Amino acid sequence: MDHWFAVAASIGGVLAISCFLAVGGMFVAMMFGWKFAVLTGLAQTGAALVTAIVALLLIFGGWRMVFIAAGTVGLFAFLSVAVLAITLYERKVLARFHQRLGPMRVGPHGILQPLADAIKIVTKEDIMPAWTDHAVFWLAPIAFFIPTFLIWLVVPFADGWVVADMELGLLYLVAFSVLAIAGLFMAGWSSANKYSMIGGLRAIAQLISYEIPIIVIVITLGLTAGSLNISAVVNAQNTAWYILTQPLAFAIFFLAGLAEIGRTPFDIYHAESEVMGGPFLEYSGAHWAIFYLAEYINTFLLGVFVTLLFLGGWLGPVLPAILWFFIKVFAVIAVMFWFRGTFPRFRIDQLMSLGWKFLIPLAFVNFIVTAVVAFYGLPAYVLAIIELAALVGIAVLVQSKLTSPSRRPTLRLISARELRDAQ
Amino acid sequence: MLNSLKGLLLTLRIAPRKPVTAEYPKKHLPIQDSYMGFPVLTWDSRIGEPYCTGCMVCVRMCPTNCMSALMKDNPLNKEGKSPRKKIIEAFEINYGRCILCGICEEVCAFDAITMSHQHELGSMARNGRRVDLPRLLELGKLYQDESGWRPPTEIEKEKQAALKTVQASAAAGAIPPPVVQPTSPPQAGP
Repeated sequence: MDHWFAVAASIGGVLAISCFLAVGGMFVAMMFGWKFAVLTGLAQTGAALVTAIVALLLIFGGWRMVFIAAGTVGLFAFLSVAVLAITLYERKVLARFHQRLGPMRVGPHGILQPLADAIKIVTKEDIMPAWTDHAVFWLAPIAFFIPTFLIWLVVPFADGWVVADMELGLLYLVAFSVLAIAGLFMAGWSSANKYSMIGGLRAIAQLISYEIPIIVIVITLGLTAGSLNISAVVNAQNTAWYILTQPLAFAIFFLAGLAEIGRTPFDIYHAESEVMGGPFLEYSGAHWAIFYLAEYINTFLLGVFVTLLFLGGWLGPVLPAILWFFIKVFAVIAVMFWFRGTFPRFRIDQLMSLGWKFLIPLAFVNFIVTAVVAFYGLPAYVLAIIELAALVGIAVLVQSKLTSPSRRPTLRLISARELRDAQ
Repeated sequence: MLNSLKGLLLTLRIAPRKPVTAEYPKKHLPIQDSYMGFPVLTWDSRIGEPYCTGCMVCVRMCPTNCMSALMKDNPLNKEGKSPRKKIIEAFEINYGRCILCGICEEVCAFDAITMSHQHELGSMARNGRRVDLPRLLELGKLYQDESGWRPPTEIEKEKQAALKTVQASAAAGAIPPPVVQPTSPPQAGP
């Protein structure tokens, strides 16, 4: 039965992508005036396809499979709207940090701006440069999108509001988030462009490095909650949110998560000033839109998982659960935009040393400490005190290391006077 | 790490401030007095005619050839009302070609052309920004009224006169004349 789940989910994802491309095609058709014929053909093909798939799923998998496929398509629709909302949210929040207004022209206070952007991007020409590896180039956005999208199947929006309530939900999260790297590197490799190639290699280095602390933290949380089911982890935070009992784990998870989705200050693999958009450089039109969609779905995903794993998910007084969930998610996303408005980008060596020399050891130490506390059955506040002390200690240590003159970074500006004095 | 927190607090303090953006077509920011907009022709209200005599110096000096002018005998001069023997008959500036360099104003010996505050003269038609003499004078009057324009040669004359009185009093010993030290060129050497 279980392999059917994967098949159904994949088919749902492909279906969602084809819907996306079909909508793009519809816009193109409208632009060039052959509306009627194309629309009719599209509707007929779509209806036939959906009927065939539903019939197949029913025959081989039963109603549960149909539910999962339908849920996948529904999730895609929801995520498309959510991504539009998040792009506007990002531009508005970031504008406030720059003392700007952000988009104001399309609709009242620019509410319809993302819609205008979406129409613009799907009606653009989808260029494929002559030297690209055509098949890989065409498949890369989908290879990037599908894993990031499939993670959403296990996301509970409230108690029981989940497409697939898996026992090993957190393992599923980790497994599929690693797969997205393949799409990024496919894009970088097939573009026949040195910037794309470097971007793809950077993506591999960065994403693989930062996957490790995330996995370790996820294991730690599973250890504390006693389950890898995401709903169970949320319900285990009924007494105290994990951000209170495990602040160090939260810091590691948030930083590594930012790196994992390539947001500032870890956006080196698609840095405009260094690799000119990295793997996405040669893409345009609908294919680029899929990358864009996946990036923002990832942003949303980090907000969701920080909320689920550390901020108590949908738990909260008075307001309905689903509302609490989205309030927390959008607060976390606002913090991400706040980071973007504040920090400059890391260099690649700084990024790698932060990951390997700092976050990964710290994550393992955190895991061991949590395991010891769990083994002896000590109360949660003991862990909280240890982790808080560790966080403060690290802050002081790093601060003193950064400010001590003997431990300056590798680059130093030397004035002419200093050179003369040295001779 | 603490510095990062400081940075976060800094941006957080910025966030609640009022945005500085002015939404342009809805809200216009005030123009500086020294703003150089499109050139316009000035109007001599004491006589009731334009300053411009149609001498063509601005037309010849214009780097983009955006102007043309036509001269005629001044009827008011024959009647004895005006010192100008010649007067402008037709003048046209193509604002679509004008690059706002200000050379026309600089070379004009008759205070006839000046850079105004006009800057929103867009048009969808190819020749929609060609402006003729009546319109130029109309814009000129507008600019003269709003900026309190006075002929630059008059201002220069007053300055010279003031300087002369200062020099005269200095020669009488009241104030020592200002001594200008020649600045030595920077030493070039090893």
